Amino acid sequence: MSAHQHHEQDHLTLYEGDQSKLYSGIMNHHTDVQSSASKNQVKRIWKITLWLSIITIVEVGIGLAAYAAGAHNSIIIAVFLILTILKAGLIVRVFMHLGDERKNFVAAVLIPMGLFIWMVLAFLSDGAFWLKMNNTQAGTKTELHK
Amino acid sequence: MTQASTATVTAEESKWDGGQSPFKVSYGKVMIWFFLISDALTFGALLVSYGTTRFASNVWPDPNKVFASFPVISNFVDAPLPLAFVSLMTFILILSSVTMVLAVHAGHYGDKKGVIRWMLLTIIGGVCFLACQAWEWTHLYHDGAWWGSFVNAPVDSVLHLFNMDRHGVPEAVTAHPDAFAQSTHDFYNYFFTITGFHGVHVTSGVLLNVMLLVNTVNGTYERRGHYEMVEKVGLYWHFVDLVWVFVFTCFYLL
Repeated sequence: MSAHQHHEQDHLTLYEGDQSKLYSGIMNHHTDVQSSASKNQVKRIWKITLWLSIITIVEVGIGLAAYAAGAHNSIIIAVFLILTILKAGLIVRVFMHLGDERKNFVAAVLIPMGLFIWMVLAFLSDGAFWLKMNNTQAGTKTELHK
Repeated sequence: MTQASTATVTAEESKWDGGQSPFKVSYGKVMIWFFLISDALTFGALLVSYGTTRFASNVWPDPNKVFASFPVISNFVDAPLPLAFVSLMTFILILSSVTMVLAVHAGHYGDKKGVIRWMLLTIIGGVCFLACQAWEWTHLYHDGAWWGSFVNAPVDSVLHLFNMDRHGVPEAVTAHPDAFAQSTHDFYNYFFTITGFHGVHVTSGVLLNVMLLVNTVNGTYERRGHYEMVEKVGLYWHFVDLVWVFVFTCFYLL
């Protein structure tokens, strides 16, 4: 039985509708898994795997070095955050194929994520303010050094 | 000007008039993406809440001291092994994400055998990750850590704090053990809630993957003519990996 044979009477072909066949452009008309296009895509997947592994190893390396040196400062934190977002970007773009979708769909997915910019800034600064108010008895005392 | 904008609107409208997907994506795939957006907001809210509590605390447990054990090896090696076990967990989850994307790729080409092979490896990876998490939770539980624990903890159980070597900190901890136990208490509540919520996602992901495998073996997708279901469940599985990337940073690195 060939992979793309359709049994029109089979209720399973009606489930999900013909829509899935129409719009999954990247998976239509591919028949030869041994073709060079297929092999290039597999190569790309392994290349991204290598990058994800390298980034994780670098993160762990920095973490261990910081632990050994007893260091914990904002530069190290910033590096961790940048590497994390880089890793997330690679996963979403290549593994989740968002990079292969139409621009308007990419925007529909990514724009709501902009909420996090507000969320992180607002809540973290609120936490810091709360601590300050707590430590200074709501501004009536000078802050104790920790 | 009016004419130009009218022309643009007409062109825009035709794409959204119906009869076609304006995103050129099937309904099911749009919906799994929208579900993932809402799930991202839920995980984001949990992690931001964790961060807010941390910002509102004078001290915080040092993950390098809390997560310093490795199964079996820690029985023989006395030295703390920070980041070692969680790196293994992270690597397992990344690899199972890779095998999933390879299953999706095989699905694009209608390669049934390839889908079966890579799905099987993905399921194994997911189960390995869950086993690691079960070990870590059990280990922490036996150390006295659990939801609601460490509220009135003895001093020696709250020594896993940052900057304990800094001048005045040990004395402050000894003088106010309850105040410092509070941050340890918060830390574990967030740790178990967030990694637990993630673990539930991994568990349901493994179940979905098993269902995919059964359907693939039975030829359901072959008869349907496409393997889009592999792609949709794959999106969910990658999302679970994506969340772990952030959990790993927030709990183990920062």
